[in-house]
Amino acid sequence: MSEKPKIGVYTCYCGGNISHTVKCEQVAKVMADQPDVVISRTNMSLCSDAGQSQIEEDIRELGVNRVVIGACAPSLHEPTFRNTVVRAGLNPYLYHHVGLREQDSWVHSCDCDGATCKAVRLMSAGVAKARFLDPLEPIRLEAEKQALVIGGGVAGLRSALDIANQGLRVVLVEKSPFLGGRMAQLAKVFPTGEEAQRLLSELIDEVVQHPRIGVFIQTEVVGVSGYVGKYGIDLLQHGRGVTAENGEALAAGCTQFVPDEFNYNLTERKVIYKPYQGCYPALPAVDWDHYDGESILLNGKKEVLQDQAQPYQLTVGAIVVATGFDPYTPHTGEYGYGELPQVATLAELIRHLAVHPEAKSLRWNGRIVRDVVMVHCVGSREIEGVDALQEDGLVNNYCSRVCCTATLHMIEELHTHFPGLNIFDLYQDIRTYGRGHEEYYRSALSSGTRFVRYNGEDRPEVIAALEGDTHPVLVHVKDALTYNQELEIPADLVVLATGMQPRQIDDLVRMLKVSRGNDRFLLEVHPKLRPVETAVNGVILAGTAQGPMNIQESILAASAAAAKVVSLLGSGQVELQPFVAAVNAAKCDGTGACVEACEYEGAIALETLVENGKEVKRAVVTAANCSGCGACVSVCPNRAIDVQGWTLAQYEAMVDAIAMDIVDLVEAE
Amino acid sequence: MTDLMQKPETKILILATLAGGYAGADATGQSHLDYPSNTYILPVMCPVMFPPEFFIRSFERGIDGILLMYSGTDSPYKVEAAGTAKLINQSYELMKERGIDIRRLRLAAICTVCVKPFLKEVNNMHTLLKGIGPVSAEIKPQQAEAQRTLP
Amino acid sequence: MTKIHVDALVVGGGIAGMQTALDLGDQGYQVALVEKEPSVGGKMITLSKVFPTLDCCSCITTPKMSAVAHHPKIQLFTYCEVDRVDGQDGEFTVSVVQKPRYVNADICTGCRLCEYECPITVPSMFDRGLGSYHAVRVPFSTAVPQIAVLDIEYCLLCGKCEKVCPVGAVDFTQTPETFEIDTTSIVLATGFEMTDVSAKKEYGAGRLSNVIDPLMMERFLAPTGPYGRVLRPGDGMEPTTIAYVQCAGSRDETLGIEYCSRTCCMYAIKQSMLISGALPLAEVTIFYMDIRTFGKGYEQFYQNAKAMGVEFVRGKVASIQEDENHYPIVRVELTEEGRVVERTFDLVVLSLGMVLGDPLARFGLQPAEDGFASLPSVNASPWATTRPGVFVAGTAGGPMDIVDSIVTASAAASAASAYIRSKTQVSIEEGEVAYV
Ligand SMILES: Cc1cc2nc3c(=O)[nH]c(=O)nc-3n(C[C@H](O)[C@H](O)[C@H](O)COP(=O)(O)OP(=O)(O)OC[C@H]3O[C@@H](n4cnc5c(N)ncnc54)[C@H](O)[C@@H]3O)c2cc1C
Ligand SMILES: Cc1cc2nc3c(=O)[nH]c(=O)nc-3n(C[C@H](O)[C@H](O)[C@H](O)COP(=O)(O)OP(=O)(O)OC[C@H]3O[C@@H](n4cnc5c(N)ncnc54)[C@H](O)[C@@H]3O)c2cc1C
Ligand code: SF4
Ligand code: SF4
Repeated sequence: MSEKPKIGVYTCYCGGNISHTVKCEQVAKVMADQPDVVISRTNMSLCSDAGQSQIEEDIRELGVNRVVIGACAPSLHEPTFRNTVVRAGLNPYLYHHVGLREQDSWVHSCDCDGATCKAVRLMSAGVAKARFLDPLEPIRLEAEKQALVIGGGVAGLRSALDIANQGLRVVLVEKSPFLGGRMAQLAKVFPTGEEAQRLLSELIDEVVQHPRIGVFIQTEVVGVSGYVGKYGIDLLQHGRGVTAENGEALAAGCTQFVPDEFNYNLTERKVIYKPYQGCYPALPAVDWDHYDGESILLNGKKEVLQDQAQPYQLTVGAIVVATGFDPYTPHTGEYGYGELPQVATLAELIRHLAVHPEAKSLRWNGRIVRDVVMVHCVGSREIEGVDALQEDGLVNNYCSRVCCTATLHMIEELHTHFPGLNIFDLYQDIRTYGRGHEEYYRSALSSGTRFVRYNGEDRPEVIAALEGDTHPVLVHVKDALTYNQELEIPADLVVLATGMQPRQIDDLVRMLKVSRGNDRFLLEVHPKLRPVETAVNGVILAGTAQGPMNIQESILAASAAAAKVVSLLGSGQVELQPFVAAVNAAKCDGTGACVEACEYEGAIALETLVENGKEVKRAVVTAANCSGCGACVSVCPNRAIDVQGWTLAQYEAMVDAIAMDIVDLVEAE
Repeated sequence: MTDLMQKPETKILILATLAGGYAGADATGQSHLDYPSNTYILPVMCPVMFPPEFFIRSFERGIDGILLMYSGTDSPYKVEAAGTAKLINQSYELMKERGIDIRRLRLAAICTVCVKPFLKEVNNMHTLLKGIGPVSAEIKPQQAEAQRTLP
Repeated sequence: MTKIHVDALVVGGGIAGMQTALDLGDQGYQVALVEKEPSVGGKMITLSKVFPTLDCCSCITTPKMSAVAHHPKIQLFTYCEVDRVDGQDGEFTVSVVQKPRYVNADICTGCRLCEYECPITVPSMFDRGLGSYHAVRVPFSTAVPQIAVLDIEYCLLCGKCEKVCPVGAVDFTQTPETFEIDTTSIVLATGFEMTDVSAKKEYGAGRLSNVIDPLMMERFLAPTGPYGRVLRPGDGMEPTTIAYVQCAGSRDETLGIEYCSRTCCMYAIKQSMLISGALPLAEVTIFYMDIRTFGKGYEQFYQNAKAMGVEFVRGKVASIQEDENHYPIVRVELTEEGRVVERTFDLVVLSLGMVLGDPLARFGLQPAEDGFASLPSVNASPWATTRPGVFVAGTAGGPMDIVDSIVTASAAASAASAYIRSKTQVSIEEGEVAYV
């Protein structure tokens, strides 16, 4: 401590709120006699302009360099008085606030003497702490005004655009060879009936033309280091395998076919491919995972393609994770899926219709479809002990939230395109919660869809019909709408409204050290306080990587994520409160108990330093990663570490002041 | 100033987290609910910073009961719930060694509007101390010499 | 007339408006936040515990309330109402009326001495009429700002408060004052109101004493509530059988409200769980058509409630009447059993829906068919209204819960920020993407 403490003590009447119970003048008098106190005053209301000016004046005129205020709860006016002392040129952390209203006068109104004694002790404790106060500066970290967005679906695209539109630079990384994610696989989308691919291409145009966005396609994040403000990122960009000149020709010459996952393997495509007309980039790409390495004929010459992967390194201040979802794939045999050809998922049906836009009648596997059964909640809302466990031993006990509306939307589409279809809808609850969603429910009701309500404990069964039956499959279900009557519905097609699950991103989760919830989706810090941020500073979530969402919700989450990134990096500096651990190197002997106790990655480590020509180990705190919890403080055998602003010595001094008899306090002149 | 000379029989130190107990105490105040005045509340960020020796030292200086009001599993800190519980258990061991009644130290989860639980904890401790008396009955208080002549 | 220049005007200081203001302020924009009530906090500050985490509502709301009040970039105007919005395209002039508090806000210290002195008690709107407060008062214990307001409608003009005020803040001569805010962008966060309890004749039209609205139940359950416990307003009895009627006011063509209000399933389940905690002997029954627990963690929340013993009965409640002792009788068509039954309860809570809180006309906006702000491109820019430069956050854009309100609020902040940049000459670093 450089300067000798000159403490100013102020006891507020709070317009009588405190003074009606606590004898403020007596408190002030005892305080005036404490060592290091240069002035002790009372005031009717300190927070008033006059009260604040008095404090400023004392700092300027009397050289007060520590301020202790006894007033209302610190949560109300601590910021006010911090500003007051700053205005007078004092460091804001050289001020200490004692709550004398909520924690004294208001709770001991029948015990004036007790309340006064308590005030004296609490104020002495404040003075004792003030002696140990050090000026502190917020921790300022240089922040790279550039963000990384992982995932080029609608959420990642929107996030990138919003961040860039607010002045920061963005690197957007997409693993697959094309932008757009799952939304590109949709046709018309609820609730507006717009074409998904058209909406997407407008968004993609804005993104790729933006001067502050760099797009890396066919690129993976392979390394992450550093912390908020300065994350080091290693990227690996796979080769496209073709050039603008030879791309189309190579694709034309390619003869290797593989199942097309864009159409959920309903069709095949070449191994040099474009998923759909109008995709971005428009240049075909080589599917390296499936390319057999055989040569391809180009202008009479045989070409063997090679993945010339290229590493990149960049520094970013924050990371947005927008890696999206996979539709749930039913197990073989789940509702007959994979065994009975007339059982499909909703996502497959959407692709099927998109691939056959001109079809006059609905056909599945060659068969004309007249009776359709839609089954809700497949792979969602599973019940432990009732439904089969997923691979990881859990059940998907969450609601996937889009499938109800998507199913009813599909029913409307089917009725529009193929009038005369008979549609049964097997559901538990219809969850058309959003604006414009309930309309699809009403439309399905009015178009004659037969709704059957099943119970989650008693899911429908899909079985093959006997040979020669009118229909290929039979669906057995108990209908709670008609007193649990057992129904057998013959069907030409069973459509499973499969839910959402997060993509396989184990590597990324490990590199970013983010957590997942029980539903395996990425976990936010707190759904209300910080709904799009993870517990890792500077790692933000966007879209369905966090949980099931529709397009609108993915966009909103993405824009919210952008707001967080811009707040964090916009000023070029990240500012953190100074209440972090600090090591007293003179006392540290490198035992490392602190490192073991710390639960925050990269917050504290032993480093080898040279001291007097000798190599020694000393604990070193990385303020950016420290939460200030103090787990290290309690385990240090040498008391060599403290949380700044909340040191053990301060607490001991406060305890001593409280423990001291008032007689001693009064006499401690 | 004679009325100030009175000594409360016992002193209760309340270490309360800003995110939990401290705000709960404020909420109690806002409701104007009375409780004994021998209660001294100090704000803490997260109680895992206190080594067991800190509590022993406090008892030795004449604190008769300590309530640690933390945020438990609702804490903003990863270690708060588990870490604090561990430290408290270690402290109990030290207290037993020294013959201090372990009921003098208590951990309670208090949230920002936990008015009733706050009152309950305070009153329970107060009643307990009335029964078992000041800590000086169990150990010889070591009034801090250094503190009399403060730096 | 005073004139204020800001980059963004946020109208409404509920959770959505506060979040938008904080996000914009944190990015360095000058923000004006206008709230028509004497305190910020909106509906959320009146709630008890909030789903899905069941953490206490004040713990989440009050820090945001004090953050907006202390933020160096945010100017907070409480007890002010937006009167008119002129201009367009990034140049808006908004006229705002400061309603008289009859207390000088600049010098009031919130000491509440006036409140203790006031001889008049008034039903507390904060407690939805269940408790009472004084004609002059700090609006509620955690109000921000902590400045008294005098309810002139009930005031006797006895002058006691004026005499007792230590700083002489009481001022009976105040009149409404109009001021103007020039702003580049506007974020509408004017929130929701519950559907009218009296609209549904079949459910007693709000006249049955033991049929209450859900915000009353929030006040019963809130630690800061008027009684600190759950009771029947009719006679103060502790209820042991409680029913919830879902979609009471939503998904109902006869009321002209055909949409789902999306929060009522969850709050009904939440309240049942809290009731089970507060009244261990109470039995709660929820009558519903569909349980819509679609959000993250919500389905699990529903399953937990079932496991705790909350009874879920699928059936459309046809009517509610009361017996001679004012016990409500619920007449319900049980779909699973195909019969109509009547059941008597101690207390019935109507799970009312949400409607737009404040008329849109003064903002120059058109309502959509459902009455909420019309949003022309929800699948591209779901925050954009029909008026460029005017964005929507929270329940002004449709029914939603707190989580969604906060997300939409941050999204609106993002959109407003990009818009402000495009309209003003913010020196944008035209840096190319940097990689090595
Ligand atoms: C059957 C069905 C029908 C639907 N219909 C509608 C509808 O009509 N209306 C509506 O609003 N919503 C609908 N939805 C929901 C909609 O599809 C989603 O909300 C939306 O696609 C989510 O976008 P996203 O960006 O979060 O995820 P995605 O679209 O999954 O995008 C994620 C992107 O990240 C990339 N990625 C993944 N991992 C990595 C990695 N490690 N590195 C780099 N990149 C990576 C992926 O390749 C992908 O491009 C429907 C969903 C389903 C299943
Ligand atoms: C009984 C009940 C229980 C609930 N429980 C939960 C729960 O547990 N969890 C959860 O997530 N959600 C819950 N909700 C939903 C939650 O209340 C809302 O999502 C949230 O409060 C919406 O916030 P908001 O800011 O959009 O609107 P509001 O809270 O309505 O705020 C709008 C603000 O704008 C002000 N205002 C209006 N017009 C003007 C004007 N012209 N000028 C100036 N100011 C104006 C209003 O005074 C108000 O302060 C519940 C809702 C109800 C009804
Ligand atoms: S949205 Fe509907 S179909 Fe999908 S999981 Fe939820 S309840 Fe089931
Ligand atoms: S949320 Fe539930 S109660 Fe509310 S309108 Fe929708 S379905 Fe009805």
